[in-house]
Amino acid sequence: MTEQSFASELPWLWAGLCAYALATFTSVWGVVTVQMRGLLVHEKRYEQLVLALLVTGVVLLTLAITARWVRIGHGPWISLFELLVSQLWSLGLVFSLVYWRVPALRASAVVALPVMWVLGTWVLTLEPTASHFPATYYNNWKWVHVLLGKAYLACLLIGVGLSGVMMARRFFPASRRWFAIMPGDDIIDRIAWRVMILALVFDSLMLIAGAVWAQDAWGRYWSWDALETSAFLTWLGLAVGLHLRATYKIPYWVGGAIIWGVFFLAFTTYFGTPYLSPAAHKGVV
Amino acid sequence: MRFLASLKITLLGMILLALAAALSYGNPADVSVWVLVAPLVLLAANLTAAIFTNPRINRQTGLLVFHVGLLGLVILVAIGRLTHLDAHIELTQDQEFSPDLLLDTKAGPLHAGSIGQVIFRQGPYTVDYEVGMKRGLTFSHVLVPQADGSAREEVIGDDRPLVLQGYRFYTSFNKGFSVLLTWEPDGGVPISGTVNMPSYPLFDYRQDNVWQAPGGPEVKFWLQLQTGITEKQAWTLDGRNSQGVLVVTSDELRTELRPGEAVTLPGGQLRYERLLTWMGYAVFYDPTIRWLFFVAIISVIGLGWHYWVKMGSRLLPSAHELRPEGLSDAVERSS
Ligand code: HEM
Repeated sequence: MTEQSFASELPWLWAGLCAYALATFTSVWGVVTVQMRGLLVHEKRYEQLVLALLVTGVVLLTLAITARWVRIGHGPWISLFELLVSQLWSLGLVFSLVYWRVPALRASAVVALPVMWVLGTWVLTLEPTASHFPATYYNNWKWVHVLLGKAYLACLLIGVGLSGVMMARRFFPASRRWFAIMPGDDIIDRIAWRVMILALVFDSLMLIAGAVWAQDAWGRYWSWDALETSAFLTWLGLAVGLHLRATYKIPYWVGGAIIWGVFFLAFTTYFGTPYLSPAAHKGVV
Repeated sequence: MRFLASLKITLLGMILLALAAALSYGNPADVSVWVLVAPLVLLAANLTAAIFTNPRINRQTGLLVFHVGLLGLVILVAIGRLTHLDAHIELTQDQEFSPDLLLDTKAGPLHAGSIGQVIFRQGPYTVDYEVGMKRGLTFSHVLVPQADGSAREEVIGDDRPLVLQGYRFYTSFNKGFSVLLTWEPDGGVPISGTVNMPSYPLFDYRQDNVWQAPGGPEVKFWLQLQTGITEKQAWTLDGRNSQGVLVVTSDELRTELRPGEAVTLPGGQLRYERLLTWMGYAVFYDPTIRWLFFVAIISVIGLGWHYWVKMGSRLLPSAHELRPEGLSDAVERSS
């Protein structure tokens, strides 16, 4: 019997990913058609459908994570499969909250939600093999570290959505109509960079919690392993972005591109470095 | 001062620091620590100048706290590097810690801890393994003498270090078996000592070592262990539940010894007293780690405060900020 056949989490995972996919289609369809009709009001019906689909996706992914937790006896901390599912869950959760509470930014979902597809498509190519729970993962700082990391990546995802709107307006003028319901670039830029400060707060706290955990688990708080180097570069990327903007008057789309760059760095730190580098994160040894 | 405070230098410093971090990946031996120190010194000087001269940083309290905190972190890390000690140690069961036993010691030039006052004795340990020989929790027993003459037993392992005089002892995957031997030279005074075998179960297949008897022949040891090791089930490595037969080879002579048995060799008699275990520890000392934690937290509180002030004490942008772009065009057109 293959692992696939008794991986009880898979049906929930597929269902959750379908809900996210439908949310993405609906958001694109809504933004395109509503704006074609020249409406400058929030079109309640499609937005409520997007929100409902997102929440459904989050609930289904909660069930997927729970089913796997029960099956293998530990949370989604270790394998790439687990990390991707866990991030799909938390990114969806935070994005739903923002979508619900800040209607003016909803149209940016057409940029942010496809990012989830990258994670979702990737996870479907991976084996749901049960992972080994290393001795160093009993440490409670893991919770603090992981939760802060989720808040951090979610901030970056919101930034990616907003930057995407600014860049689309710059390079595909036709898209201005789709995003006419959103504030002007000056405001989006300001909000995006405030979200980046918030991302920096969570990133810094995540690094502190990670350093405490590393001190407990591996007897040193920092040692330039692959993950630490990559995480530091991402933190510095945020600092460079914030200072570039404070030093020069950079065009909105350039600021947007920097946010995408930081997201890319963070993405590789989470999902690339620990699994691709020969010196994997010490935690998994 | 104004020139040194320029934000352009900040950007340059940050880019140099990023390059230095990339070069430092994996702590390569041929990359000097100065590669990191140089951009940090530049940034620290730049930041100090900016704090004194730039109102954009020294008039915004939260931002100021954050940046002063960053400066504090750099200073603390520098103090930490100058005063730290990193080392390894292998302690055999019943053996008392001594600084002479430290291996691969790397210490900062200003290291001044009281390692001489660290006293403890190694006891037995257990290590749990899951199916497929995946290592689980380690429980290492150590005895720490108390002022009243008694000894306190501590069970340490993995993320629970033994902390004495600020020195932190972390168990490692490197641990194994040891044999307690007594060598009775012909007509001389008997001496006892231990010989550690290679790491177990990593080198399960190679439990051998060579020993030179004082005034006697070179002796090869091979330890045949019975530890209950199995890949198919969960298993606990425990020296107290393990047996070892010591195969002693010297010249053409090959003898199998059980605990308590002896073999006569040219120049004396070798007795295999009993089977013991040894545990490998990573030793870490850095007097700044608590301070680093507090300063880092205070810095982030400053940054959070700055964010809060920027947001006008609201979590969400104001309704005015969020007016649709298209609406302002429409309003303009209709007016
Ligand atoms: C080392 C030299 C540094 C100097 C001289 C410096 C200087 C400054 C100054 C003058 C500002 C105010 C800019 C403005 O309000 O227009 C500022 C803002 C800021 N700095 Fe630094 N900084 C340094 C390093 C860092 C580092 C390493 C970080 C870490 C991420 C950082 C994070 C920030 C943040 C988050 C802001 C707020 C930006 C905003 O409000 O948009 N700084 N810095």
